[in-house]
Amino acid sequence: MTALTTTASRTRGVPRGLTWTLLRLHSAAVWFWALLVAVAAGALLWAAVPGGDAAWTAYTSGGCDNGVVDEGCNLNAPAIELYDTALYLGSAIINIAPLLVAVWAGAALIGRELENGTAKLAWTQSVTPARWLAAKLALPAAVLSAGTLLLVQLHRMMWEAHTDQWGTRGVWQWHESSIFIANGPAALAHVLLGLAVGVLVGLLTRRSLSSLGYGFFALGGLLYALELARPYLWPARTATTPATEGHPAYIGMTVDEGGITPTGDRVPNPCLTSENCVLGRDVVTHYRDYHPASHFWPLQLVETGVVLAVTALLVLTSFHLLRRRTGGTS
Amino acid sequence: MTDTAIEAAALGKRFGWRQKGWALRDCTLRLPVGRVCAVVGPNGAGKSTLLAHAAGLLAPTEGGISVLGTTPSAARERMAYVAQDKPLYPQLTVAETLRMGAELNPRRWDAAVAERIVEEGGLDFGSKIRSLSGGQRTRVALALALGKRPELLLLDEPMADLDPLARHQLMGTLLADSAEHGTTVVMSSHVVAELEGSCDHLFLLGGGRVRLAGPLDALIAAHTLVTGPTGDLAPHTVVESRTTGRQITALIRPEGRIAAGWQTAEPSLEELVLAHLRAPGAPALTLTDEGDADNSRGGNGGDDDGETNGTRTHGASV
Repeated sequence: MTALTTTASRTRGVPRGLTWTLLRLHSAAVWFWALLVAVAAGALLWAAVPGGDAAWTAYTSGGCDNGVVDEGCNLNAPAIELYDTALYLGSAIINIAPLLVAVWAGAALIGRELENGTAKLAWTQSVTPARWLAAKLALPAAVLSAGTLLLVQLHRMMWEAHTDQWGTRGVWQWHESSIFIANGPAALAHVLLGLAVGVLVGLLTRRSLSSLGYGFFALGGLLYALELARPYLWPARTATTPATEGHPAYIGMTVDEGGITPTGDRVPNPCLTSENCVLGRDVVTHYRDYHPASHFWPLQLVETGVVLAVTALLVLTSFHLLRRRTGGTS
Repeated sequence: MTDTAIEAAALGKRFGWRQKGWALRDCTLRLPVGRVCAVVGPNGAGKSTLLAHAAGLLAPTEGGISVLGTTPSAARERMAYVAQDKPLYPQLTVAETLRMGAELNPRRWDAAVAERIVEEGGLDFGSKIRSLSGGQRTRVALALALGKRPELLLLDEPMADLDPLARHQLMGTLLADSAEHGTTVVMSSHVVAELEGSCDHLFLLGGGRVRLAGPLDALIAAHTLVTGPTGDLAPHTVVESRTTGRQITALIRPEGRIAAGWQTAEPSLEELVLAHLRAPGAPALTLTDEGDADNSRGGNGGDDDGETNGTRTHGASV
């Protein structure tokens, strides 16, 4: 027992075995991720406190918040521009990370090893292919999760610091895709999905360059489909107004809008094409399906759940594929 | 403790879905422990496929293979494998590559053995793998394999990149090491000369099938090189014959006494292999000798009684 403790304390904190190997092999990627996280975190932190305050001062002192056109209002003031850039940088890094991860995982983590045959080198040490794959998923997942969670925290902090000021003026909205994702656990789920897509593509193509391309388009397609599906992940609310009183106000994320005929059928807004607008009297009510800001968390959690389920499916497929190819434990 | 290093039963591997895509077909063979076995055959014969199956890197399409008495997957820790292209991580240094061997084989690693092999090649531990020549890379790959202290060492074309001097020296290290620890060594090659004198067991593959398998001495003893006037060689099995003028030179498997008038000679390993390669239609021959299994390698005695104890299968898989 004493001997065990001594050994453990001597080697504590130093990664061993497969962990050491993977960290050493992919140290460049780890450093690059650390750099990305540092840049995004710096931008978000700066935007949350000094940058946001300076931009707000420039905005109000220029007279932009009077609600009327003011000659002194300069939306391109340096403080506002810099603030916008920092915001954009912060959320862009969070949003682009899944694609970078998919491309890296497909090409560098898996594809290159299968192409060069170095995977065979690993599998003929005392490491089974399944353990190799498990480590290749778990270790990047841990590192990526840590970074993403930090960035999401900072993004939320930045968002909450100034949302009252900017949000009410419609400058930015909670449901904008890049802001929606960066403000919740969906960001983490997307990064993990990127990892799973990249790994599976790498195993399928066994080539680094083709993994790069297929990984990019596979994840791009999935994320695009997700964006199209997002409004339908939670039951929307419906606002209606009598046709004579115009359209319901825009609130939050719009899902669908149009008119309701006397028989209760929903029809596309007839005034979207000028000729049909004459038929407007057939429409007795205008409706708009929307998600209010209070739907942020339900939408976030459902999307996170769906993405994590797809990720789990891809991971299982990867293990199955590898086991079938290498003979596994049978 | 099993006495069988590798046992394949009707092993077959098809790549892709084509009917003609069989890299290995109906491969049945057995290798006792402690042997140094050569896997010989032309390009595309299935040598690499056989070794990759033994190393647990490929799943068979049909049949099965067991290694050291268990599945290749379960024997992973007890065997080492060096692939034909000697894959190593180019971004690591030599020292880091050996460290990786220690990290990934925590229960078996012998750093002294691995370091000695690297030092004998005059390699700098600090140089990156990507800066090494092909031969130097082979040396590091072999150091990694031997550092694992394997019971079974699988080497796919191990010496192809080495100059004659390094080849001789590394082969010496390899054989001394395996003799000392009783390691079973299986190496594939299409250069027969490189194997002469270092192997005591032979698998000859051709077209994805086993052509010859058995202890080297027994295989050579089962063949005779005959020279004489043109004539009928029945009832002997003729592997290959060539006629020059009125003279005929043939490699045969004697069935009984050879008639007078024929000059006979024992074929060399190279003659045996080349004759079989030139005559793809020759019947396959598998010699096994159960009595040999318990004997350690090195003495010739074990191989001599191979023929008497041996069971022969003629033309089983042709």
